[in-house]
Amino acid sequence: MRRISAIVVGALRMWFRSKHTLFWTLAFPVLLMLLFGAIFSVSQNPVFDLHIQNLDMVDGEPTYWSKAFCDMLNKTEILNLHVVDSAENATQFIEEEGVERMLIIPPGFNSSVSTSNNVSIILKTVPAEVDTASATVGNVIGQVVEIFNTVVTKLIPPNIVSVKHESIVSETFKYIDFFAPGIIGMTLMTSGVFGAVAWNTRNKELGILKKLATTPLSKLEWIVGVVLFELIMGSISTIVIIAVGVVVFDLKVIPNIFSVILIISGAIAFPGMGMVIARFVKESDSADAAANAITFPMMFLSGSFFPLEFMPDFLRQIANALPLTYLNNGLRDSMVYGNVSSALFNTSVILGVGIFFIILGSLITSWREE
Amino acid sequence: MQKEIAIEVNSLVKKYGDLAAVDDVSFTVWRGEVFAFVGPNGAGKTTTVEILVCLRNPTSGDAGILGFDIGERKGQQQIRRRVGVLPQDFNTFDLLTVKENLSYYKKMFDNGMDVDELIQLVDLKDKSNALYKNLSGGLKKRLAIATALVNDPEVVFLDEPTTGLDPRARRDMWNLIQGLKEKGKTIFLTTHYMDEAEVLADTVGIINHGKIIAMGSPSELISKFGGKTVLIVEEGGEAVYDSLSQTLSDVRLENDGDVLATIKKKHDLPNAILTLNKSKAEFAELVVRRPTLEDVFLNLTGKKIVEGELH
Repeated sequence: MRRISAIVVGALRMWFRSKHTLFWTLAFPVLLMLLFGAIFSVSQNPVFDLHIQNLDMVDGEPTYWSKAFCDMLNKTEILNLHVVDSAENATQFIEEEGVERMLIIPPGFNSSVSTSNNVSIILKTVPAEVDTASATVGNVIGQVVEIFNTVVTKLIPPNIVSVKHESIVSETFKYIDFFAPGIIGMTLMTSGVFGAVAWNTRNKELGILKKLATTPLSKLEWIVGVVLFELIMGSISTIVIIAVGVVVFDLKVIPNIFSVILIISGAIAFPGMGMVIARFVKESDSADAAANAITFPMMFLSGSFFPLEFMPDFLRQIANALPLTYLNNGLRDSMVYGNVSSALFNTSVILGVGIFFIILGSLITSWREE
Repeated sequence: MQKEIAIEVNSLVKKYGDLAAVDDVSFTVWRGEVFAFVGPNGAGKTTTVEILVCLRNPTSGDAGILGFDIGERKGQQQIRRRVGVLPQDFNTFDLLTVKENLSYYKKMFDNGMDVDELIQLVDLKDKSNALYKNLSGGLKKRLAIATALVNDPEVVFLDEPTTGLDPRARRDMWNLIQGLKEKGKTIFLTTHYMDEAEVLADTVGIINHGKIIAMGSPSELISKFGGKTVLIVEEGGEAVYDSLSQTLSDVRLENDGDVLATIKKKHDLPNAILTLNKSKAEFAELVVRRPTLEDVFLNLTGKKIVEGELH
């Protein structure tokens, strides 16, 4: 225990004196939280701007069907409509105002609809490659046109059906509440893997590991010491993320024992994984590359930034094999949904992974020269 | 007083494929002595040390330190407790102070020296709160040696402790090592500096291509393999050559006018000086060059060691 505490205390002292590591453990999670918090706390659902010019006017008033169509667009709640005066030259207006999407309802729209003649509305957009939102807006308008045609042909009153969007969890939660566990998981992974790989590789290069190997210190004591230090680092980062979330974005989390166990398990599992990777890294120059090779795909495939449902089947299969997936799912289950049984499963998986990597690390870490 | 064995090595071999890094090496180091393992880079010095401190397994042969077998698990545990090691090119934690670094390594052992006492021993009292990264090269080496002493070891392995240091820092290190010897420590030193071995060692083992090619005290090695003392009369010319040739049997006149006379017998040197004095011949300077361990290595291998490399 004396040797392990020497490793932990020594590493804490060095952490406190290194601006570089202070940044990655304290400032980086704060920046990440502020950045993602700012992006996702504004609106729960995306709303797209759409300029609309109605040229089917009578005495300065929109005709019945052109107005009905505009109302249907408005009720989607996905489009933020900006009305453009019918007297404006559309092409000139788009150029001068830098408009990216504009819908034009042509003159005679009302009479064509009334007499069941074909009529085309015009959607002007920048190419979808440049503005991916234009594709979404095009789809929404297409859906509205389909419904509008059904309404017109069956003479159903236009506002008989509408969609009310409701959240599947308590109304008190915002998107940031779902996002924060992902940031915590990602931070535990990156700081754990990078920290352990860099720490081991640098000490190997300096000859410190060789020196320690000539003392009574065992490999297991060394690994436990490094993992404990990373556990403290991970816990500090997590506390910082939650504190910033609560203070700045009114983050709401359900405090429970599973969240604590999950965070501890994650803070053990990823440094353990880092110790295993470090076994195969000879120089500190390649340490970052090795850590990136493991963490980068895991960061995107494990649902830290977007739901797994967005991914094709084969990627979801891969995600199911990644420990970060279970940490993210477990943290969301425990911190957001309060789903104890699911959190228990994810906690068991991540704790098992942690123990596995520590044992594997102590078996394959070589004190002796080859 | 009867001499006790500190390190005993028998027919040690370490092979990497067909290459024998250590090739049938045997020697004994007595308690309290400084044993210097001397040779160029790649000669097998560090490999031998790493086998002895249980960092590498030998291919064959055996060795014992303080009576403990390096091949046995229990022996290795005892050796780790009782020896201090300064690995080659060792650097410690940049962001810990001198005192914190020593406390760190001391906690790896059950017993050891008082850290403040150790700091005093290596003369780092004024720097005890300085970060390692802010120390000069010489002070870093002092701290590195101190890390090898934290457990108050009976045997200390110092693998090239003065490589890369300036002459003054090297001499400081020599004083430190001599101080350790005075405290009764057994010191196993590896170096490629012949003068260092000559000054510090009681016994020198010269190793080249994995084999020990000569072993003994520096004076024994020099008298056996170093050649004779040479009197050099700088810019003596033919006049000096003629007069010395009357007294000494082996005299040479070099192209630059220097005259070199080999001193073969005890009285050759005073006789030569008397002869010079009588002849009134003019010369620039008189130099007596005694053989060193460098001559021993040159005579044994036909090559010189310059900064660790063979030339």
